[in-house]
Amino acid sequence: MRFTIPQLKLSVRLILLIVIIIVLAVLPVIGLPQQWLIYIRLFCIYLAIANMWNLLCGYSGLISLCQPAFIGLAGYTMIMLAWVGIPIYVGIIAGAIVAAIFALLISVPVFRLRGIYFAIGTLVVPEALKYVFLLWKPVGGKLQGGGAGYVLKGAGEFSTAEVYWLALVIGLASIFLMWFILRSKLGLGLAAIRDNDTTAASSGINVFRLKLFSFIIGAIVTGIAGAIFYISQAAIEPTSAFNIKWTMICILAAVIGGLRSQAGPIIGTLIVVFLHFALARYVGYSLIIQGIILVGVMLVAPHGIMGAVRKSRPYRSLVQLASRH
Amino acid sequence: MTELLDLSTPLLMGILLGGLYVLIALGLSLVFGVMKLINVAHGDLVILGTYFTFSLMSGELLGHKYLVISNLGIDPILSLVIVMPLLFAIGYAIQKFLMSRAFGISMEAPLIIAFGISLIIQNTCQRLWTPLSRGLTPPYALESFSVGALRVPLIYLLDFIVALIVMLALREFLRRTYLGKAINAASQDKRAASLMGINNNRVYAFAFGIAMAIAAIAGVFLGLTFPFNPTSGVSFLIIAFGVIIVGGLGSMLGTFIGGMFLGLAQTFGGYFLGATAQMLVLYATVLVVLAVRPQGIFGR
Amino acid sequence: MEKHTQETSQDALLKVSNIDVFHGSFQALWDVSLEVKPGEMLALIGANTSGKSTLLDTISGLLHPTKGSIEFEGKDISALDPFLIVELGISQVPEGRRLFPEMSVLDNLIIGSYNRKARPKREQNLKQVYGHFPILEERKNQLAKTLSGGEQQMLAIGRGLMADTKLMLLDEMSLGLAPIVLDKLYRALREIRERGITILFVEQNVRRTLQEADRAYILESGRVVLSGTPAELQEEEDVRKAYFGV
Repeated sequence: MRFTIPQLKLSVRLILLIVIIIVLAVLPVIGLPQQWLIYIRLFCIYLAIANMWNLLCGYSGLISLCQPAFIGLAGYTMIMLAWVGIPIYVGIIAGAIVAAIFALLISVPVFRLRGIYFAIGTLVVPEALKYVFLLWKPVGGKLQGGGAGYVLKGAGEFSTAEVYWLALVIGLASIFLMWFILRSKLGLGLAAIRDNDTTAASSGINVFRLKLFSFIIGAIVTGIAGAIFYISQAAIEPTSAFNIKWTMICILAAVIGGLRSQAGPIIGTLIVVFLHFALARYVGYSLIIQGIILVGVMLVAPHGIMGAVRKSRPYRSLVQLASRH
Repeated sequence: MTELLDLSTPLLMGILLGGLYVLIALGLSLVFGVMKLINVAHGDLVILGTYFTFSLMSGELLGHKYLVISNLGIDPILSLVIVMPLLFAIGYAIQKFLMSRAFGISMEAPLIIAFGISLIIQNTCQRLWTPLSRGLTPPYALESFSVGALRVPLIYLLDFIVALIVMLALREFLRRTYLGKAINAASQDKRAASLMGINNNRVYAFAFGIAMAIAAIAGVFLGLTFPFNPTSGVSFLIIAFGVIIVGGLGSMLGTFIGGMFLGLAQTFGGYFLGATAQMLVLYATVLVVLAVRPQGIFGR
Repeated sequence: MEKHTQETSQDALLKVSNIDVFHGSFQALWDVSLEVKPGEMLALIGANTSGKSTLLDTISGLLHPTKGSIEFEGKDISALDPFLIVELGISQVPEGRRLFPEMSVLDNLIIGSYNRKARPKREQNLKQVYGHFPILEERKNQLAKTLSGGEQQMLAIGRGLMADTKLMLLDEMSLGLAPIVLDKLYRALREIRERGITILFVEQNVRRTLQEADRAYILESGRVVLSGTPAELQEEEDVRKAYFGV
C-alpha cells in the first residue's frame, strides 16, 4: 500500500517521478560536490539491498541472513573476471548470474528449513564463503588485507559520475521492481504465503517456487548492488565482502522504515546512510549504536516509521479522504 | 599398525573437543527447549564471558591495566566466581526486559532483537579489548599429557571433564529442584504451567540466566582452548546450533552425541584436508545435517 | 426458581459480577454473573460454544474481563496473573487434563505444589491425594503419558489438590471416560468436598451432572440463561425440552 497523495492524479505523479529521476541523473554533471554524490551513491546501493531484504523477509517470510554471500560472490566474480581482461560491465552481469546460481544451489538444503532454522542456515553461508575465499587464491595477483584481497583492475577508468549512475540505476530499479512485483501474481501469492504457508499451499499456490523466485531475484539485485559497491571501492577482500555489516544494513533499514511497506526501505535507508556518515568518526561505536537502535525500534515501534505513520490519525483521515474520490 | 595410531589422534582429540562443544551448546539448548527461541546472540554471549575472564586475568580494559597489583591476574577458572553471576544477571535481564516483549510482537522480533544484541556485544568487545586475537594462557593451559604414544593437550581433557560435570549438574538441577521442575513444566506446556502457580515470566528469566551462567563456564574453557577475538561468536553459534540439531532437542544424551559428532568432524576434517579447512568442514557438516534431518537424531 | 437474578449473600466464596470477556475481537461472555458458595458442588452446564471454558479461564486469570469484576473471598482478582490466583487458592484442572507428559506421576503432583503457600504442606497434601487415589501411589514413578484415561484424570485432580486449593475448577472431567470410571471420580470428589474444598465443575453431560451437583448454572452463547438447584432446573420446561427432549 502506498502513501498516496489523494488529490493528485496518476499522470501528475508520473511526471513528478520523471522529474525527480532526471534531477538525480544530472546531479554529477551540474557540479554537485563530490561528497554529496558519494552519499547518494551509497544510498542507492544500500536501498537496493534493503528493498530486497524487505522482499524476502517482509513479503516472503524468509528471514535471510545470507545477503552478504551474494554481495561477496558478485563482487569477487566481477573482480576475478577483470583480472583476465573481461570488461567490468560484463563482470557485473556475470556476478549477478553467479549470485543467482548460488541462490538456486543453496536453496536446496536451506529451503527445507523454516523460520529460525532457515535464518541460521543462511547465517552459515556467508561465514563459510569467507573461509573459502580466505583460503582460495584463484588469480595470482596482488594480495591485500588479511587474505585473498584483490584490486579491481580497470576501476580507475570509471569516473565518479559513471559509478554514481550505476548506483542510481540499481537503486531506482529496486524500487520499480518492488512496485512491479507487488502488483503481479507473484506479489499476490507472496501475500498469501506470508499469512499462512499451509493454507496458501492448499489453495494451489506453489509455495516453494514463489519463495525461490523471491530468493533468486533478491540474490541478483543484491549481487549487482554489491558489485557496484566494489567498483566504487576498487578493491575487495573476504572479511569485508562477507561481513555481517551488510546484513545489519538491510535489517536496520527495513525495520526502521517499516517491513512490508514500499516506502519503508526508502525512509529506513535514508536514516541508515545518515547514521553511517554521522557515526563515521566514532568507528568503534557505529555498530553498537546501530544495534541499540535496532533493538529499540523493534521493541517500541516494530512496524517502523511507516507502521507508525499508518496508525496515526492524520494518515488515516487522509486515506479516508482518498477512498471517497 | 602405524595407520591405526595415526587415526587415534584425531579420534581422541575429536571426542575431547566435543566436550567443549557440548558445553557451549548446553546454554543454547536450554533456552531453546524452554522458550523455543534460538538465541542468535549465544555465541557472542559466550565470548563476552571469555572477555570478562580475560580482563580479570590480564587486568586489561580499553588498553589500560586497571588491576592495581600488576601481573597478579585472577586465574580464569577461579574468575568464574565473578563471571558466572555477572553473566547470569545479563541473561536474566535480556530475557526479562527484551525477549519477553519480543515474543508478543511478531515471529521475527526475537530473532531480530537477538541479532541486534549480537552486534552490540561484538562491537562492545571490540571497543573494550581491541579486535586482536587473544587467548587465556595460564600455565596449565599449555600443558599436555601422554596417552600411550599420543600427546594430548591437558586443556582438552579438562574441557571434556567439565562438560560432563556441568551436564550432570544441569540434569540433576532440572530433575530435583522446584525451579528445575518448573522450567521443565513450562517447556512442556506453558498454559498448564501457569495453572500450577508457575510464574512463567520469572521461570523464563531464570532459565535464560542459568543458560548464560553455563555460557560463562563455556566461555572460560573456550578461551583456554582456542584463541578468540570479538567476532568469534558467530562460529561458535553455528557450532552450538549444529550440536543441538544433530542431537535433537530435549535430550542431554543427544546433545552429548551431537558434540562428539561435531568435534570428530572437525578433527577428522583437519586430518584429511589440512588444518585450515577445519572450520569449513564444520560448517559444511552443519549445513548437511540441517538439510538432511532438521529434527535431529534424538528429536522429540 | 431464580431466572438468573443476583443473590446478595455475603458468604459467597467466589463472586463473578457482570463480566464481559473477549477472545481478541470476538466477545465470548456477555454480562455473566455467578456465585459459588463455600463447600458446594456447583455445575456449569452448556454446549461447546457456550463459553463455559472461557469463564473458567477468566476466573483462573488466563483471560481478563473488560467489564465487571471477580471476587474471591472478598478480594478482587480480575486483574491478577494466573500464578497469583493459584496462590490465593483457586486451582484449575484443565480440559484434556494437560498433564506434563514427560514427567513422572510424582513429579506432576510435586509441581502442583509449586506455589509458595502449598510448598510447606507438600507431604501432607501428597498423603491426602494418595488417600483419594491409591493407584497414583502405585504408579508414582511412571511417566504421566503412560497412564490410562481415568488414571490421568485422577492425576490431574490430584495435581490440582496439591496446590492447597480452596476452590477447584474442573473443566470437562468426564470427556472420554467410561461411566464406571466416572463413578470413581465422583466418589473421590465427594471425599474431597468433605475436607471443605469447594468445587466448580463444567460439563456437557447434563443428566449425570445434575445428579451430582448442589446447584447449577446453564450457559448458552456466552450468557447465563438459567440457574438453580437440580430439582428446580428439572422442573423448568426449557431445560426439559433442550436437554431431555421432553
